[in-house]
Amino acid sequence: MSCVACAVCVACAVCVACAVCVACAVCDVDGRYISEHVRIADLFRTVVADMAAVLRGLQAVRVLRGFCRGELVGVSVHKYRSAHRGVHSCGLLYSENSTSVSSSVHQHPQAQAPEQDPSSMTSEQVGPQPNTSYANQNGEQSEDYETEDQLQARILNAALEFVLQHGWSAEAIAAGAETLGLSSASSEMFPNGAGDLVLHFVVKCNNQLVQILAEQHKRVQLGEAEPKKTAEFLREAVETRLRMLVPYIDTWPQAMSILLLPHNIPESLKHLSTLVDDIWYYAGDRSTDMNWYTRRATLTGLYNTTELVMLQDTSVDFQDTWAFLDNRIRDIVNMANTAKQVQSTGEAVVQGLVGAAVTLKNLTGINQKR
Amino acid sequence: MASVTQKMTINLWARVFNITRVRHYRASVIALNSRGYSVLPPPRDAEEKAVLDKMLRVDHAGEFGANRIYAGQMAVLGRTHLGPLIQQMWDQEKIHLRKFDEILAENRVRPTALLPLWNVAGFLLGASTALLGKEGAMACTVAVEESISEHYNSQIRALMEADPERYKDLLQLIKEFRDDEIEHHDTGLEHDAESVPGYWLLKSAIQFGCKAAIYASERI
Repeated sequence: MSCVACAVCVACAVCVACAVCVACAVCDVDGRYISEHVRIADLFRTVVADMAAVLRGLQAVRVLRGFCRGELVGVSVHKYRSAHRGVHSCGLLYSENSTSVSSSVHQHPQAQAPEQDPSSMTSEQVGPQPNTSYANQNGEQSEDYETEDQLQARILNAALEFVLQHGWSAEAIAAGAETLGLSSASSEMFPNGAGDLVLHFVVKCNNQLVQILAEQHKRVQLGEAEPKKTAEFLREAVETRLRMLVPYIDTWPQAMSILLLPHNIPESLKHLSTLVDDIWYYAGDRSTDMNWYTRRATLTGLYNTTELVMLQDTSVDFQDTWAFLDNRIRDIVNMANTAKQVQSTGEAVVQGLVGAAVTLKNLTGINQKR
Repeated sequence: MASVTQKMTINLWARVFNITRVRHYRASVIALNSRGYSVLPPPRDAEEKAVLDKMLRVDHAGEFGANRIYAGQMAVLGRTHLGPLIQQMWDQEKIHLRKFDEILAENRVRPTALLPLWNVAGFLLGASTALLGKEGAMACTVAVEESISEHYNSQIRALMEADPERYKDLLQLIKEFRDDEIEHHDTGLEHDAESVPGYWLLKSAIQFGCKAAIYASERI
């Protein structure tokens, strides 16, 4: 039998069936076209279904790679659709030409279903209401467009639920990704793995604390609340921030060790310093001399030591930790007062010495005008 | 205190070690625009904030250093006939420093960590050049003010190139301060700065030191 080159076969790359001359309406050689019609219809149907499945898998990989490279999803979907239009047209042409109505009915939904699936699949991947249609990819972000950062944040937030089970690790991220309907391979989006999760949690807690402090600040400015004294303010701020660790306190030593890894140290130090700067800003520190540095250094030391004490505190509701915090703050206040006292004592001593020198000069007559 | 001598000696002591002088100035706001409080626009992104932070940090350090230089000069020459003139120039620098303190506090800019160094170095520079005589003090003033006004000019150029509309208030502020510094420079020239022996050497050394200080304060 001769295979007439049918245009459809050029479109759909897999059309091996063309070799047996099935989709070609013109081909009517030896009457076998009709007799083998039914069998070949089945063959074609399964081929199309398999091809759709293969293309779906390819598209998933392309989408994920696209996420990693920050491409727009719609672009890869578009590429997929143009390839898939070939399959669809294969099916359509065949269904047009076939005399078996049932197979054509079968064909349509079969060809349609693969077309629907990718869009629903991308919808699961991208978010509740994705707008990945090609029509909207003109560079402007519609309201439901999600950036890569937002997606990563969502995955890491979901992963925090699994930290108790899997610890701070890539497994937790994979489990979190699965709850969002993504494949567990999404954890490959985070090259730093556990470090990304821990840093995300730290940033999240810091932002929460800043929100609380800003709220309080606003209330004080509106006159609804009394401004707190510095020592009390610091104590409450540190306690609030450390209480956010309580749900994860069992795994926190692991998290701290992750933060101390060399490649995580710059970022963790940066987050710690912004935390301390924020706390002092809301405590009312507006200094522009060395006090800026000494205050932040003392608060950093205070926060770190209290965090360490909290890790091995077994008392009810961490009462020992808060007692430790109270004592350290009292020490700092005492030190500041002592420093002021030393300074004023020094000034008094200087006055005394100068007075003694002037007295001596007077006694020896040096001060007299001649 | 008992006598004027005691008072002045204690002031000298305090000034040398800057014990009582540097508190944060929460003085009155110098209203330069109708809003009266904000000179900087809120930064659009972290990059802009970093650039503005650097500028303000070095400006603050510069005014702080100038303050200490005049303090050193007053310590030596305060009782001569140049005393009132130096005091007047010092007061203007104090106003500048106060304004920069406010801006730093408002915009949460980190002050330079080298402030104690500029504290001591500025005082020593002022005092040592004043020990060379009145002309030495004026030569130091001329050199420092020339450096500072050149630095302000380059900042003005940078801001103008970036976005004159956006930084209108900041530009106005820096221009005003630059004009004050040029006035000090001219005052120094008027009072025989150039007649000090080794004027060019002194001037070049001081200006090199100022450039190094500016470079360091921008980064540290």
